[in-house]
Amino acid sequence: MKNRKLSWHGRFTPWLFLFPTIVGLIAFRLIPIVWAFVLSFNQWSLLGNPKFVGLLNYIEAFHTETFIQTLFNTIEFSVIYVIGSIVFGLILAVLINVKAKSIPFFRAVIYLPVVTSAVAVGIVWNWILGPNVGLLSTILESMSISAPYWLGDPKLALQTVAGVQVWKMAGYSMILFLAGLQGISAQTIEAAICDGANSVQRFFRVVLPMLAPTVFFVLTVAIIDSFKNFELIYAMTKGGPQNSTNTLVYDVYLNAFVYYRVGYASAVAFVLLIFVGLLTIMNFYIRRNWARPLD
Amino acid sequence: MKKSLIFLSVLLFACTSVFANGTQESAEKEEVVLEWWTWDADLKDKNQEIIAQYEADHPNVKINNTIVSTKEYWTKIRILANQNKLPDVFTMSSGSLEEWAENGLVLDDYINSDNTREVFYNDMLEAVKGVSNTDHYYALPFALVTTPLYYNKDAFDAAGISYPDSDWTWAEFKEAAKKLTVDNDNDGKTDQYGFWFYGRYAHVEPWVYANGGRLLNKDTMRFAPDAAGLEALEMLAGLVDDGYAPAQKDMSSVRQQDVFPMGMAAMWIDGSWNIDNNRKVADPSMNWGITRVPAGPSADVSYTYAWTDSYSIAPNTKNPKEAWEFTKFVAGDGASLDMYLAGKIPAFKALTESDEFSDASQLPAEMNVLIEQAGSPMRTSFTKGWSEWRGYGAAEALGFNGLIDGVTNGEMTLEEALAKGEKSINTVLARYYK
Repeated sequence: MKNRKLSWHGRFTPWLFLFPTIVGLIAFRLIPIVWAFVLSFNQWSLLGNPKFVGLLNYIEAFHTETFIQTLFNTIEFSVIYVIGSIVFGLILAVLINVKAKSIPFFRAVIYLPVVTSAVAVGIVWNWILGPNVGLLSTILESMSISAPYWLGDPKLALQTVAGVQVWKMAGYSMILFLAGLQGISAQTIEAAICDGANSVQRFFRVVLPMLAPTVFFVLTVAIIDSFKNFELIYAMTKGGPQNSTNTLVYDVYLNAFVYYRVGYASAVAFVLLIFVGLLTIMNFYIRRNWARPLD
Repeated sequence: MKKSLIFLSVLLFACTSVFANGTQESAEKEEVVLEWWTWDADLKDKNQEIIAQYEADHPNVKINNTIVSTKEYWTKIRILANQNKLPDVFTMSSGSLEEWAENGLVLDDYINSDNTREVFYNDMLEAVKGVSNTDHYYALPFALVTTPLYYNKDAFDAAGISYPDSDWTWAEFKEAAKKLTVDNDNDGKTDQYGFWFYGRYAHVEPWVYANGGRLLNKDTMRFAPDAAGLEALEMLAGLVDDGYAPAQKDMSSVRQQDVFPMGMAAMWIDGSWNIDNNRKVADPSMNWGITRVPAGPSADVSYTYAWTDSYSIAPNTKNPKEAWEFTKFVAGDGASLDMYLAGKIPAFKALTESDEFSDASQLPAEMNVLIEQAGSPMRTSFTKGWSEWRGYGAAEALGFNGLIDGVTNGEMTLEEALAKGEKSINTVLARYYK
């Protein structure tokens, strides 16, 4: 009973502090999740009462060509986004991890798109990428290169939107990588220099392995973020052309709030949940087995 | 004795005061509170003016106006309907009316009572009935929008073509579109298209109906464009093939409603409310006008694509009579032209037939075209599930809209698009119509 004075609290005090979070979690997360799960077995337009239809919504989804396409679009978007934001985030972080007077300015500029509204980003990029009158088309054409229809070509639209998302969010992974880079002690680098490692060797043999925990953290965050693509798609392509940029998140929105097929939208949302769930489990597994901090 | 008298008189006094109170309370209870939901935030002050005016004439009625933006309006109002808490009076769109008719209040008796049919346009009342797909009135219209052909008079003058009139044929239209397609600097790129459209409902259906055609078979409620409908779609696709109209992807970086007022296309068809945007966006020196959509070669009757905005009354309202009175007021005597986007035609005759509506000081000079359209046969294609199969709003790039865009963008032929449409559109329609 050394700390008698400090043990002023009872057994339930921690629960008192946890209470608001737990209530919030139950009211705004768990109950809606369970309710959505129940709804996914119903037909409901919000107007009448839900009608139980069993597995019909799931069966319909997996028998619809466009849904399968949407599923693959979602995966493709995620892959581009995850790889893009890790690669570009890392490059930017390495570039900016130097001591110079102007660095805070560049950090702020690179981070700016992260805090800019996705709809605004979408509108501006629509202007830049627009055919005939767009900034990029004009520049390309002045160099006698005919610009493709970045957003009008079904083969290109998804990559374009995913690319803009990478541009928008690279600053975020940059900040995370920067923190990781600055955690690597100068002595380690100096030791490598003394051992005669050149800058490429230093980066790949010393810096990158020591960054592994950060890389996996960024990976986790990027995977989760990669599904949050609704706003940009809404502002740039609305799922078109020919369903080529429709993703699960956008499909949930369309079905729930444009078509008012709430039951079907819930089923799509659950497919998405299973998707994200599997990736998260995989991520944890990788992290536990391969991504141990070197020190 | 004296004591008991005093007691009695006190009792009497107490009783009378209680009763008096009682009658007073029941007089207060007669106060009626009406909830009124609308979606146009710009009209907030105007709505308050209407309420003040109405409340002054009806001291027992109190009205609360709630404005919810269109993006959230339908979700909120659906949930309210589900909980039997619908506002007494609420704005209704033609696109939703059929689905809501099953949950709405029948207004037949009211519409047939007093002078409703005299002060409102009968055609609009019938349009509301028609779109509900029932034999009843589920809403009182306050505005009609039609789809006129907008044309740039400066461009017509420059090309030396006379302005279109109501006798214009499709051949004449196409000939004009050809002459109006201009490459000013000879760089191989069109600077002004003769006409422009994309898969949008208000761009495509006017041609189908002007040719007397349909996209849906009304008996089977399935997607099955008839010969006249196909002819219209082929004509439109042909314009893009010939280069007189751009592919959808070529105009995608400009707000669709700005293409015409910015002079990028010399002719255009869309909802009449765009008159307002044209006035705002077009260069003040640009001279433009409107006319009817040219009647198609197969048309026995050339139908105008037009639809109403209206007010519905909650089926569970406690005060249906008061709700109706107020509805009639906001759509009629209480309404004023500044509440309507230029180009929307008030259902209340006195407003539409006023000099202000024609407003000779502003373009277009042909506002009478709208009134003429409002008085002629009308057609729509709203159904349950319309947003989904037609591709509207956030689904604009999908559905039939997306398919037509696929045709103009060269991703598929019209035939392929129609085959795809038959499959996907009918899947949607089959959910609602057995």
